[in-house]
Amino acid sequence: MTRSRRRSRAEPGVHEAPELFETPPRATGVAEVPGRRAAPPGDPGATPSSAISVGTLTAVTRDVLEGSFPPLWVRGEVVSFKQHRNGHWYFTLKDQEAQIRCVAWATERRRIIAAPDEGMAVVVYGNLTMYAARGDVQLRVFAMEGVGDGLWRKAFEQTRAILGAEGLLAVERKRPLPPFPRCVAVVTSADGAALHDIVAVVRRRCPMTRVVVAHATVQGDGAPRSLRGALARVARWGCADVVIVGRGGGSREDLWAFNDEGVARAVAAMPVPVIAAVGHELDVSLCDLVADFRAATPSAAAEAAVPLASDMARMVRRWQRSLCEAAEAQMTGARRRLTTAAEVVATAAARFTDDRRRALAAHGGRLQALSPLATLGRGFAMVSDEHGAAVTAGARIAPGDLLTLRFRDAQAQARVERVAPVSPAVPEDGT
Amino acid sequence: MSFEESVRRVEEIVTALETDELPLERALALFEEGVACLRDASAELVRAEAAVEVLRQRADGVIETTELRA
Repeated sequence: MTRSRRRSRAEPGVHEAPELFETPPRATGVAEVPGRRAAPPGDPGATPSSAISVGTLTAVTRDVLEGSFPPLWVRGEVVSFKQHRNGHWYFTLKDQEAQIRCVAWATERRRIIAAPDEGMAVVVYGNLTMYAARGDVQLRVFAMEGVGDGLWRKAFEQTRAILGAEGLLAVERKRPLPPFPRCVAVVTSADGAALHDIVAVVRRRCPMTRVVVAHATVQGDGAPRSLRGALARVARWGCADVVIVGRGGGSREDLWAFNDEGVARAVAAMPVPVIAAVGHELDVSLCDLVADFRAATPSAAAEAAVPLASDMARMVRRWQRSLCEAAEAQMTGARRRLTTAAEVVATAAARFTDDRRRALAAHGGRLQALSPLATLGRGFAMVSDEHGAAVTAGARIAPGDLLTLRFRDAQAQARVERVAPVSPAVPEDGT
Repeated sequence: MSFEESVRRVEEIVTALETDELPLERALALFEEGVACLRDASAELVRAEAAVEVLRQRADGVIETTELRA
């Protein structure tokens, strides 16, 4: 690597001339191709009369090229990049000395994450072949990687722009994590370090939490598909309260599946909150961006996912205290109400009794006033006939009748001597 | 009831007991319910540690969990 870089820096000066003047290679006679002998007489192309067609020549050239070179990695700069509407890419790969036409068929470049920018330094992997219609030697490209992170960054930004335009990265979409999940689903490799770390942290913090792994291949060609499948499994299962999706650290290529548009969409579509933990602190994937919570590492994801059991126990004790205090307050209130009610009843009862007593006394007085006995006290006597009936008028008695006179303290028998009317001014009841 | 639901119910009960003067019978019923909730919540905390499980989809499409072989 260092050696080639040093050499390429030294090259421009040395090779200036051919670029400027486009001089043909050393002129050589047909019969004097260096290192080769002319075709034997009688062979096609050996003489003007046996000249071969251009088509034959290019076909043969193609066979020779394709047969002589295994697929190669070639490095250079992308120029004149064009994407045809059928999806094929045409571009030129060049460096300071030379250039070669390249084609990347839409169907053959699945492993290229994004189209390169003009001038981008890349390495391409392909077969040397010939485009007969133009007589161009060209490289049929299957794979391409940016030198440095150019191509990765471009692919990342492209997908991020798509997801962003749909609002999938919006902060308002982020759901809060459940405070006390009973079940944590982990989408990662069942034999990766990430799972080990997550399980260890959950065991330490909240050992009764259920941990269920949805295994996924987390790197390589099949990883996006596998991750999508695992996420779908968790979603369909429906028993997880929160999902951790991620893996431990790795190269950019290792982590790339987490930048896959389909995987990011699957994360965004999860019915329960998702914590993403892809790689280490500095690696930010699209899954991290669409997830409800981004953790720097798988361990941090587990910390965010489950509470400390001791905090939960403290919480239960606190509520126990609050409940007892509140109930106690209710009892105190009830007791106070009871006392108040008793006082009210006692007061009411007392007032009632007093009222009755007063009424009784008043009635008693009036009774006293009305009592005939009281009248007797004032010097009157009550008169009754032999049958005990009160005599209230003189008309009812005749001389010889036996009357009973009742005094305040005694009674006497008296015989009527004479009956004479009195003036009507005397009240009738004046017995 | 989950831990969360239990705790939330206790919170409601405490709020009710703290804010209103309730008939004694109602207050006692709430208190008893609160005690039951807290007992549930505590039970969650002492639940046995579960083995790590693996989520699989069977050939017939049913999703099931099996214990992860360490």
